[in-house]
Amino acid sequence: MDDRIKAAPAADKTVSEARLMSVLNTAVDGIIVIDEQARILLYNQACEKLFGYTPEEVAGQNVKMIMPRDYAQAHDGYMHNYMTTGHRKIIGIGREVRARHKNGTEFPVELSVGEASTPDGRQFIGLLRDLRSRKEAEQRVNDLQSELVHLARVSAMDEMGAALAHELNQPLTAIMLYLQAVSRSLDKRNDAANETFKSVLAKAVHEAERAGNIISRMRQFVEKREPNRRPVDLNHVVGEAVELTLVGLRHRVNVKSTFAPGLPKAFAEPVQIQQIVVNLLRNASEVLKDREDGLVTVSTGQDGSFVTITVEDNGPGIPPAAMPTLFKAFSTTKTTGMGLGLSISRSIAQNHSGDLIVDPGGHGRGARFTVQLPAASREEEAEAGL
Amino acid sequence: MLSSVDGFGPSLSVGTGHLAVHILEDDAGVSDSLLMLFRNLGLEATAYPDAESFFETAKPKKDDTIIVDLLLPGISGATVITWLKGLREPPRIVAISGQAQSAIERQLKDVGPVELIRKPLSIQTLSTIV
Repeated sequence: MDDRIKAAPAADKTVSEARLMSVLNTAVDGIIVIDEQARILLYNQACEKLFGYTPEEVAGQNVKMIMPRDYAQAHDGYMHNYMTTGHRKIIGIGREVRARHKNGTEFPVELSVGEASTPDGRQFIGLLRDLRSRKEAEQRVNDLQSELVHLARVSAMDEMGAALAHELNQPLTAIMLYLQAVSRSLDKRNDAANETFKSVLAKAVHEAERAGNIISRMRQFVEKREPNRRPVDLNHVVGEAVELTLVGLRHRVNVKSTFAPGLPKAFAEPVQIQQIVVNLLRNASEVLKDREDGLVTVSTGQDGSFVTITVEDNGPGIPPAAMPTLFKAFSTTKTTGMGLGLSISRSIAQNHSGDLIVDPGGHGRGARFTVQLPAASREEEAEAGL
Repeated sequence: MLSSVDGFGPSLSVGTGHLAVHILEDDAGVSDSLLMLFRNLGLEATAYPDAESFFETAKPKKDDTIIVDLLLPGISGATVITWLKGLREPPRIVAISGQAQSAIERQLKDVGPVELIRKPLSIQTLSTIV
């Protein structure tokens, strides 16, 4: 039986055996066949890459060798349970488990197990799909998402800080000027009583200046975090965002990208624009999740002095009742999420001196969101050394 | 220009006969305190709560100083500045604002260079401009 493990077709192999080996070794996923004693009978080339063992090293060994310690300890029990009760816990079900590489590192795999009755007894076939790249993509999407939330908080704080600074500056300016005007009038006269007034006024001016300095510091703090905008290639930025969204989506949805050639650069902070695109795409795919023919179209274009990104779905459109609060924070028609996505997306666009507008569709047309961003001027491009 | 106002009073008006200051500011406290300050300095000062009332009554001359708050109701401060700069003999223009730098830059983007003082204003900075 051991000769079946080897990938190279041996002379004594039948045509169908050779064909089987070729199929097994072409498979991207790892494939392992074990017998009733959990001994490895077959181990394809994908497994060599996954686990780092050669077929010779694993032949006839207990399959526990590619499991982390906790699974390995329980595995005999699992096998025994199934043999005696026939109760299926993994066969035909499949689940995400951890696997163990020869070097000891553990990694996530999607495991599906099938069963076959052969003249040599029962055999179990395991298919192992490496989940590391999917996990990494999920992680990237999660990171992006938490960055979005963080940015929302920061920008809310910035807006509040700037508004406060402005509002407080008005009365403070008046106070300082009044006080200074009065102390100057007192300067003209010289008597003892004036000296007291003048010293009190000087103290009051000093305190008003102190308040002014606090506001200036607050304003500087807010301004330090002003976004890092520069002329960017919108098609590149949007393309990356689409790619990033697709790997993180729970349900498959068709996305068609049409990028206008020769667009002027947009003056924008790329990561913020990507957050808008990711958010719009996720919304669209959520709307389309139960449809076989769901299609999201992402396109770029130009509209006067704006460069635009349009995300359109072929769903039912946005109900008129949802329109008034569509861009308001904490209003959502979805069962999950906080309803912050669209409101943040719009405020990001507006902070870029652009906007996010919507055509609600309906009557057979889906919703269409358009992000408008100012095209970079020649001076801005020159400044950025482009 | 005087770098200090210690010698304020008659000395400021030497040579010009009169120096007029026009203040476009919608905040009553800021506008009133500015008026008081400039009048104390011996200048002829007038305040307007918006651009519309300024355009109706004032005929700014070359030697005048116009102080324009960027955030005005109705016609914007930036529009006023553009208009003033287009005059055959433009007066001295000083923009004032308490907004964030980016907001200021956005408004002044199409206006070109202009003198700007950020709030809170103090007598020291103001005295350098008249």
